[in-house]
Amino acid sequence: MAQTISLPQAGARAKSALSTALPPILVALLALSFWYLLSITVYAGKGYLLPGPREVADAFVENGATIMAATLTTLKEAMLGYLTAIGLGVLIAAILSQSRVLERSFYPYAVLLQTVPVVAIAPLIVLWFGYNDLSVIVISLIISLFPIINNTLLGLRSTSRTLVELFAMHHTSRIISFWKLRLPGALPSMMAGLKISAGLSVIGAIVGEFIIGSGNSQGGLGVQIIFAQGRMYTALLFAEVICATLLGFVFFSVVSLLGHFLLRHWHESAAD
Amino acid sequence: MRKPPPLAAVDPAAPPPNLAKRPGAVPIALQGLSKQFGTGVQALDTINFDIAGGEFISIVGPSGCGKSTLLRIVAGLVEPTTGACERARNATAAFVFQDAALLPWRTVSRNAELLMELEGVPAPERGSRAAEALKLVGLAGFERSYPHQLSGGMRMRLSLARALALRPDLMLLDEPLAAVDELTRDVLQEELSQLWQMAGFTALLVTHNVHEAVYLSNRVVVMSARPGRILKVIQVPFPFPRSPELRSTAAFAKLTGDVSAALRQRDHI
Repeated sequence: MAQTISLPQAGARAKSALSTALPPILVALLALSFWYLLSITVYAGKGYLLPGPREVADAFVENGATIMAATLTTLKEAMLGYLTAIGLGVLIAAILSQSRVLERSFYPYAVLLQTVPVVAIAPLIVLWFGYNDLSVIVISLIISLFPIINNTLLGLRSTSRTLVELFAMHHTSRIISFWKLRLPGALPSMMAGLKISAGLSVIGAIVGEFIIGSGNSQGGLGVQIIFAQGRMYTALLFAEVICATLLGFVFFSVVSLLGHFLLRHWHESAAD
Repeated sequence: MRKPPPLAAVDPAAPPPNLAKRPGAVPIALQGLSKQFGTGVQALDTINFDIAGGEFISIVGPSGCGKSTLLRIVAGLVEPTTGACERARNATAAFVFQDAALLPWRTVSRNAELLMELEGVPAPERGSRAAEALKLVGLAGFERSYPHQLSGGMRMRLSLARALALRPDLMLLDEPLAAVDELTRDVLQEELSQLWQMAGFTALLVTHNVHEAVYLSNRVVVMSARPGRILKVIQVPFPFPRSPELRSTAAFAKLTGDVSAALRQRDHI
């Protein structure tokens, strides 16, 4: 009797897994087919405008080493920019959260940091830091900084009043309250900011590379993209754009996974 | 231990003479306490009241009568505008809030250790005291659970365990049972009463629930609407330990009736 009940259940679970995975796979296959059809009909012989999936795959294989090196360079720059943004963002949020006056004085400028189009100030950054990796890292840092400050600050400010009173009753110092109460309580909100910035840091790195341009041919994905565009090697351009997208996706996934790991025991946002 | 003299200005009900002497439990003297907030709201008006060491006192009153403010003044969280709250300097006080106020990222046992941690109790001792307190409130076996895995009643038990583990001389309870369901509330009242009899702390409970106040207390303080004044102090003569059946006796009903009547009188004062 038990078997006849458990078997359909196991079957149902496999079926439900299939029904969640199937639709996106179908969409991908449809998009690929559509792309392929376009490339052999409307864009037949115009591979410089829309190369087919096959040409892109070939470009991947032929330029494997270059693409890999460029991806690693961009990864390194984005990661350095991102990690610095986390350190700096959390520090700034921690300082601002300590006093209303500080927050009121400086927060508008943190907002300004977000509203200044990073593409517009990138040339200035390059002027200050030179045509090198450092500029790229700084641009990546600037673009990822604000969501981290904003979300961390939000989290640090939303500590339950009752808990603040409880800690006050036992004469807890600011530093201990921060470590044991405010910071862990801010973690869910902080992780939300980190997730937004993960993708942004890759965008920042590529924008930075656009600006420093093909000054050195061994640059990251942004440099290689400009380079491929100059040569009208559109298939390679496609391959590199796919790599840049995957890079952002991997960044985001790693941070999401970390957040899940940190919050899985206690916060709804990490519930399965 | 010197018993503070009753003040003539209020209801002359003195701390009950038959109360067992509890070493360590602190007496409290509220002397002419008034509190006016910055917004101009007068929360409390000249509160004079003496609590003997080890007594269980409940404060009932209409919403907004300043009873929570009174509790926070005793806790040292709020400064009175005038008057003073006298209690032993070195006394350990623990506060239990209406919401359990747990740290969701900590396990049950780490939550039970929190106040000891803040008060600088050494780590090995914290562990054993937390385990002991969790056992007292019936949470043994849940040490490694997280608060969100507990029911509302269990969360409140954990909140009580956290306070008990501190071995307080004074327990301040701000409507701790207001948010749990009625069946759980009755059980928790009985447990709280037993814990108080066993541990011997002085207890000050703020509640809306007249039955709860009478069941748990030596004396019930009835306060008026804002600005909060003491209208009446009602002695509860039933001996401890009190059985759950006490709640259905005529004498209990008479006393809760008295408290309710005193609450209704507020408009004529």
